[in-house]
Amino acid sequence: MTNSVQRIRALSLQIMLIAGLLAIWQWAAVTFPGPTLPPLLAVWRSYWRLVQGDLLHTAVLPSLYRLLIGFLIAAVGGALIGLAIGCSRSLDAWSRPVLEYLRYIPAIAILPPALLILGPTDTMRIFVIAFGCIFPVLLAAIDGAKRVEPTFLDTARVNGLGAIARIRRVVLFAAMPSLFAGLRIALGLGLIMMVISELIAADNGIGFFILRSQRLFQSAGVYAGVLVIGTIGWLLTAGLLLVERRVLHWHRGWRGLPVD
Amino acid sequence: MVAVTPPGSVRGSGAPAPLIASFEAAAGLGRHHPGGAVLRVLNHKVAGKYAGALGGFGVCIICWEIVRGLQLIDPRDLPSVVAIVRTAIRELIGGPLALAVLTSLLAWAPGLLLAAVIGTVMGIALAMLPNLDVASRPILEFLRPIPSVALIPIALLTLGVGIEMQLTMIAFASVWPIVFSVKAGVEGIDPRFQETGRIFGVTKGTGIIRIVIPSMLPSLATGVRTASAIALVLTITVEMLIGRPGIGRYLDEARLNGLVTEMWAAIFVTGIVGYIVNGVMLAAERHLLPWSAENRDQ
Amino acid sequence: MIAETDGAILTVDNISRSYPGAPVPILDGLTFRQKRGEFVAIVGPSGCGKTTLLRCCAALMQPDAGSVLHAGQILSDPPPWLSIVFQDYNRSLFPWLSVKQNVGFGLAHVGKHERDERVAAALRAVRLDHAAELYPWQLSGGMQQRCALARSIVVRPKLLLLDEPFASVDAQTRFDLQDLVMEICRDMSLSTLLVTHDMEEAVFMADKVVVLSTKPARVVDEVAINIPYPRDQLATKETPEFLRLRHQVYTLVRQQIRH
Ligand SMILES: Nc1ncnc2c1ncn2[C@@H]1O[C@H](COP(=O)(O)OP(=O)(O)O)[C@@H](O)[C@H]1O
Ligand SMILES: [Mg+2]
Repeated sequence: MTNSVQRIRALSLQIMLIAGLLAIWQWAAVTFPGPTLPPLLAVWRSYWRLVQGDLLHTAVLPSLYRLLIGFLIAAVGGALIGLAIGCSRSLDAWSRPVLEYLRYIPAIAILPPALLILGPTDTMRIFVIAFGCIFPVLLAAIDGAKRVEPTFLDTARVNGLGAIARIRRVVLFAAMPSLFAGLRIALGLGLIMMVISELIAADNGIGFFILRSQRLFQSAGVYAGVLVIGTIGWLLTAGLLLVERRVLHWHRGWRGLPVD
Repeated sequence: MVAVTPPGSVRGSGAPAPLIASFEAAAGLGRHHPGGAVLRVLNHKVAGKYAGALGGFGVCIICWEIVRGLQLIDPRDLPSVVAIVRTAIRELIGGPLALAVLTSLLAWAPGLLLAAVIGTVMGIALAMLPNLDVASRPILEFLRPIPSVALIPIALLTLGVGIEMQLTMIAFASVWPIVFSVKAGVEGIDPRFQETGRIFGVTKGTGIIRIVIPSMLPSLATGVRTASAIALVLTITVEMLIGRPGIGRYLDEARLNGLVTEMWAAIFVTGIVGYIVNGVMLAAERHLLPWSAENRDQ
Repeated sequence: MIAETDGAILTVDNISRSYPGAPVPILDGLTFRQKRGEFVAIVGPSGCGKTTLLRCCAALMQPDAGSVLHAGQILSDPPPWLSIVFQDYNRSLFPWLSVKQNVGFGLAHVGKHERDERVAAALRAVRLDHAAELYPWQLSGGMQQRCALARSIVVRPKLLLLDEPFASVDAQTRFDLQDLVMEICRDMSLSTLLVTHDMEEAVFMADKVVVLSTKPARVVDEVAINIPYPRDQLATKETPEFLRLRHQVYTLVRQQIRH
C-alpha cells in the first residue's frame, strides 16, 4: 500500500521536474530566439527524422554498425587475451608493466596515427573504437582470471582438465562477473570513440551529422543528434544489462541477492 | 527454495588476490626471524617486477621493429623506436612538446578541480535529499551515457572556442564519476557514525563537515582518479577539434605536416604523463587519506 | 623405492614442505602408509598443515623433500582414480552449475546417456536426487557437502581424500554425513583418507588414526582402531573400547598443543 503511494509520489516528482525543465527551455527558446536554444518542437522533428526517417540510414545505422563491430572485436579479443594472461603467471609478469603503461595513453591519441595509416575509412573508425574498448575488457579479464577461487582450479585438476579445458570450463565462468563489469565500462568508452572518430573524420554517422548541423547553425539538429546518442547509449546499456542478468543469474544467487 | 546458505561473501566483496594474500602470509611469517627474510622476499619480488617489465617492453619493441622490417605498415608511418625516443627527448627538453604537455595539464587540472567541487556538492545532495535523488533519477540516467564529446558542438554553439568552453567540457565530462562515487560513499557511511555524532550533539549542518565529508573522502578520491582519465581525453579532444593549444593540437599538426616521428613521440609521452598523473594521485591519496581502502589493500 | 606389491595405495615417505618466503617448514619429515581399502584419519589442530599434507597426497602439490607414492608411483598430477572433497564447499562447488552439472563435472569424456545415469546414481547415493536441478547456493550446508561428495564418487575413484568435510555444518548434520560417508566408502570399497581436527570423528570413522604435531607437522603416533563396522553413533560411542581409544588420541593431541 505505502509502496504504491511512494511510487506514485516518485513518479509525479520526476514528471514535474522534467516538465519544469522543458517548460523553462521552451520559454527561453521563444523569448530569446537564436541558434543556441532551438524550440522543442524543432528538436523533436529532427530527432524523429533520425530515428524514423531518411536520416536513419545515413546517420544512425552506420554509427551503430561501427560501434557494434568494434565493441565485439574488443570484447572477444580482450576476453581471450586477458584470460590467457591472467591464467599464466609468467605471461602476467611480462605483460602487466606494458599494459599498465598503455592504459594511460588516452584512447583519443591513437586517432592521428590511425588516420595516417588506415586513412579516413570504416576500418580506421572500427579500429579506434576497438582500441578504446579493449583495455577495460582486458584488465577486467586478467583480474577476474587471477581471482579465481584456487579450490575451483584444484577441482579442475583433480578431474583431469587440461589448460584449455580449465579456461573454458572454469576460469571463463568464474571471471564472468568481472568481465561484465569491464564490458560495461568499455561500452561507454566505445560510444565516446565512436563520436570522436566521426567528429574528426567521417562523411556519415551521427557524429558527422551533429558537426554538420553545428556548422550550418541548425542547432535543433545538434540537440537531436545528442539525444539520439543518448538513446543509443541507453538502449545498448540496457541490452548489455539484460544479457548480464541472464548470464550471471547464478552470481546474484550466489551472493544472496534475489534471482528472477 | 530450500534454505539459503551464507552467501559467498568472501568472494562477493572482492577477496584479496591470492598473490597478495600469500605474500602477506609469507612476510608475516618472516617477521619472526631476524630481518633478512622479509627483505629477501621484497627484493625477489622487486627484481622479478623489473625483469618482467624489461622483458615485456623488450618484446613490444622487437614486435614493432619486425612490423617495420617486414613493411606490414608503410615504414614512413612507423619510425624506428630509437628515432621516436630521440625525438621525444629533443621535443621535451625545452621543445614544443613540453609546452604542449604543460598547456594541456593547465587546462586539465582546473577542469578536474571544478568537477570535483561540483561533483562533491551534487553527490552529497543526492545522497542526503531522497526527494531530489528520486526526482532527478530519470534525467541523470539519461544524461550519464551521453558521451560528453558529443556535447562539444553544443558547447561551440553556446560558449564559443575559448578556454571557458574547454573547461566546461572537461568539467562536464569528469563530473559524473565523481557524483556517483561521492553519492555511493555518503550512502555507505556507517549509520553508527551519524548516531555517534548525534550523541555528541553534532547538528545536521556541522555533521556534514565533521562526519560526512571525512567519511566520503576516499570515495571522492576514487571518483577523481577515474575522472582524471576522462578529463584528459576531453582536454585532448577539444584541442584536436577546435585547435586550442596543447597535446591535441600538437598531435594533429604533426600528422597534417607529416612529422610522423613527432606524432608517435607525443603519443608515448602522453602515456607517460597519464601514468605519472595517476601515480601522483595515488601517492597523494595514500599520504592524505591513509584510511582509504585503496591503501588498506597494499 | 617401495614396491607396488606391499599393497599400499598411498605411501607418504618422509616428506617436508614449506611455502615460498616462509622459512619455517609446514611439514617436516612426515611418514605414513595407507593400505588398499583402509580408512585412515589424520588428526591435528587447526593450522598445523593438514590441508597442505592432503594437497601433497592428492599430487596437487609436490613435497620439497621425500616422496608421495600413489600405488607405488611418483605422480606429478592427480591420477584419475583419485578424488577429493575440499574443506570449504562454498568455494569448491561451481556456483554457475546446477547440482546435476556439478556432479557430472568430471565426466566430460563419458557419453551423455551414461553420464546422466551415473550422476543420477551418485545423487541417489547421497540422497540428493530431489535437488538435482537446483544450484548449490540454494542448498543448505549439509546438502552442499553431499553434492561435493557425489561429485567425488561419481568418477569411481579408488582413493578418496576428505579435507575436514564436516567442519562447517551443525552437529546433527555432521553425524548424518559421517554415517553416509562410512556407508558409501564401504559399499564402494574405497580407500579413504580423512583429515580432521575432530578426534572423536577420527576414532569413530577410521581403521587407523594418524596424530600430527604442530609447527612443523610430524607424525606423533598411529593408533589402530579395531572396532567392527558398521559402527553406530550411539552404541559404538558408548563402548569401553571406543572410550579408551578416544582417551588415547585426546591425550596425544593435547600433549602437542601444550608444547
Ligand atoms: N599459500 C600459502 N602460503 C604461505 N603459507 C601458507 C599457505 N597456505 C597455508 N599456509 C600456512 O601453512 C600453515 C598450514 O596451513 P594448512 O595446511 O591450511 O593448515 P590446516 O589445514 O591444518 O588448517 C598455516 O600456518 C598457513 O598459514
Ligand atoms: Mg585445512
